Amino acid sequence: MHPCGDFRTSYRADMTIFPTRASAYACVAGVLLLAAVPLVFDIYVLTLLIQIGYYGVAALGLNILVGFTGQISLGHSAFFGFGAFASAWLNNRFGIPVLLAIPLAGLMTAAVGVLFGVPAARIKGLYLAIATLASQFILQDFFARADWFTGGSAGAAAAPVAVGGFAFDTDQRYFYVVLVAVVAMYLGAANLLRTRDGRALVAVRDHYLSAEIMGINLTRYRILSFGISSFYAGVGGALFGHYLGFVSIEGFDILLSIQFLGMIIIGGLGSIMGSIMGTAFLVLLPEVMETAVKALAASGLGQMQAVADGIVYFKEMAIGLAIILFLIFEPDGLAHRWRQTKAYWKLYPFSY
Amino acid sequence: MRYPILSAAAVLAVATLTAPAGAQDYIRVGSLVDFTGNTASVGKDYGQAKIDAANWINDNGGVNGKLLDLDTVDYTYIVPRAIAAYKKWVNQKVSVIQGWGTADTEALVGFLANDKIPYFSASYSAHLTDPQGKGPQGTKAAPYNFPMGPSYSDGVRALIQWAADDWKKKGGAGKAKFVHMGDNHPYPNAPKKAGEEYARELGFDVLPAVTYSLAPGDFKAQCLSLKDSGGNYAFLANTSGANISLLRSCETVGVQVQFMANIWGFDENVMKAAGKAADGVAWVMGAAKWGDNVPGMKLVQDVSKMSDPSGKAYRSVHYIRGICSMFWMKEAIEWADKNGGINGPNIKNGMYKKANWVPAGLEGVCPSGTWTESDHRGITKVLVYRSKVTGATDGDLAALVTAGTIGMEKVFEGDMPRRPEWLGW
Repeated sequence: MHPCGDFRTSYRADMTIFPTRASAYACVAGVLLLAAVPLVFDIYVLTLLIQIGYYGVAALGLNILVGFTGQISLGHSAFFGFGAFASAWLNNRFGIPVLLAIPLAGLMTAAVGVLFGVPAARIKGLYLAIATLASQFILQDFFARADWFTGGSAGAAAAPVAVGGFAFDTDQRYFYVVLVAVVAMYLGAANLLRTRDGRALVAVRDHYLSAEIMGINLTRYRILSFGISSFYAGVGGALFGHYLGFVSIEGFDILLSIQFLGMIIIGGLGSIMGSIMGTAFLVLLPEVMETAVKALAASGLGQMQAVADGIVYFKEMAIGLAIILFLIFEPDGLAHRWRQTKAYWKLYPFSY
Repeated sequence: MRYPILSAAAVLAVATLTAPAGAQDYIRVGSLVDFTGNTASVGKDYGQAKIDAANWINDNGGVNGKLLDLDTVDYTYIVPRAIAAYKKWVNQKVSVIQGWGTADTEALVGFLANDKIPYFSASYSAHLTDPQGKGPQGTKAAPYNFPMGPSYSDGVRALIQWAADDWKKKGGAGKAKFVHMGDNHPYPNAPKKAGEEYARELGFDVLPAVTYSLAPGDFKAQCLSLKDSGGNYAFLANTSGANISLLRSCETVGVQVQFMANIWGFDENVMKAAGKAADGVAWVMGAAKWGDNVPGMKLVQDVSKMSDPSGKAYRSVHYIRGICSMFWMKEAIEWADKNGGINGPNIKNGMYKKANWVPAGLEGVCPSGTWTESDHRGITKVLVYRSKVTGATDGDLAALVTAGTIGMEKVFEGDMPRRPEWLGW
């Protein structure tokens, strides 16, 4: 958000990632601070941050598809799962080092995503949503049946990331793998949107007819968007798989797909930063509620039988309620709220 | 200012991240439960049993005078949440964890081995019984996993033994036909190969497996194909919700097959929900049933009173297995406390010190178990019960059981051999 009177006078200024030098420094400082987290905090914090990291990468992919290109996907978790299995498979079957297998898994997932994105060439809106729903079910069934690829119902083992005998097998070490991946993927997305292709995606979203008249190949960019989105999902899934050391066919269901949608809607559709903010929100909310419920149960109120019985259900309902309230009071997402907060302080005390 | 909500959330978040450190004379025990997720139908009972058992132990002298600090986390059957809870416990230096289902147990196997934390799970998948990864069919070692029940594979083997007897008794002509039914999913598939192979060994004809989803639905198509296949014994490998639907669908279609169910696939609630359709189902049990006339039932009832002071509640078979799991764990901790201190490796060793042991006070309730360094097939005694539903099943479960509308009887008791080639399979 730019205050009135603060105009951009060149394309260069309009395209910049960091509007001011201070924001660039803040970003670098933020990453450095994060890099220091394993030295200070315990593994509970780390596991949550790692979780935010791998989900955040996948959520960003969905945001590129939904927020920037205006398509829809109800099958994102299937691509997330495909990436996890693909990376484990590449490593187990061909002995490709995990560090290389992760981006390769992303590429494989992108190929699958392009395939399932083909319907987007012809249909949009609710119809497209249903077509992507098919990818969810087809891939889930594929996971259960393709023993050679996923280990079937027994699941697949995923080796830890290792470079020359140094294994990133603890949370402290794996945190850096995820951090590097997140920074790289987010920088990649931020830059993607400054390219000709990135602008084309946004044009497709804003008005597909105008975009076509301007010479943008709608089919190509819609499908490309599915490919990019799946690439992100695949990398996120691969990070997830190698963190756990084991990939099971359980868990990559439609609920997770909806959760990914929840992350980007809460974070802010069409916002890079919003993707990770929304992810953080949805990852931390259950943990916060768990603690709140525990505190309540430990207090005098929790000793009453009726309260004690209802408390676990209260927790799950409260998570749903928080999401609904959020959508009502902040439909533009956390990213929008963040920008307003910044503007408020920037203009303080003369905000208008 | 328009940001009080955000700052409140931030404060809460910080509060979560800095969980309080535990006092010294407590024994920290993590407990994963599913009260609200996909497996809540049975998870509620099992989780409540763990809470009640911990409270009872604390009210009755604790473990060698030390109190259990049971930290119960409802992870709603979502793996990343289970892992977050696990990491928190590692920080807090829990000595042992009481886990829950397939999803969390599978995800944690590797972590547990690294962190040396014993994990008593309610997932009885056979590959968790191979602590050294030496079984010929095994995938990986699970040194710190203790499945607290007969493995799914041993369960189906017992059912097949019973079925073979039953077929002889009935004077069935020729070979009986066995069919595995279940979703293509980790839990239903766990005992599939073991069951089919053993059925062949005992002279059954094994028909192609029938797939029905874990999510309850209309299964008439599956029932019709079961009917056409002419199967005699159908093993239902899914969980209870799907089995209710299947039994009802098959009753509508008129299937005359002896149904058999896995340990998590059948209980009193299934009988109540499916009514007459659930009559005569044989299924695997890992402990005595509520109200059985055995010495240990007194203790079970006392534990139950922790959350139901009136003593009127009816407790399902899963509740009782939850108590067994807690008391086995308690004795292993006791041993560890007297022999070098309470920590993961010592508690693990505590499980190996006795052979054929039942937790004190639960005689007749829990089957006797033997765990060794190289073999975690602790509980090989399998009970097969058969359900009896005599009328309409409306109303309170406890009343229905008292009235005898819902009942069960033991029809078979087998001790599955610990064959080396079956280890981890």
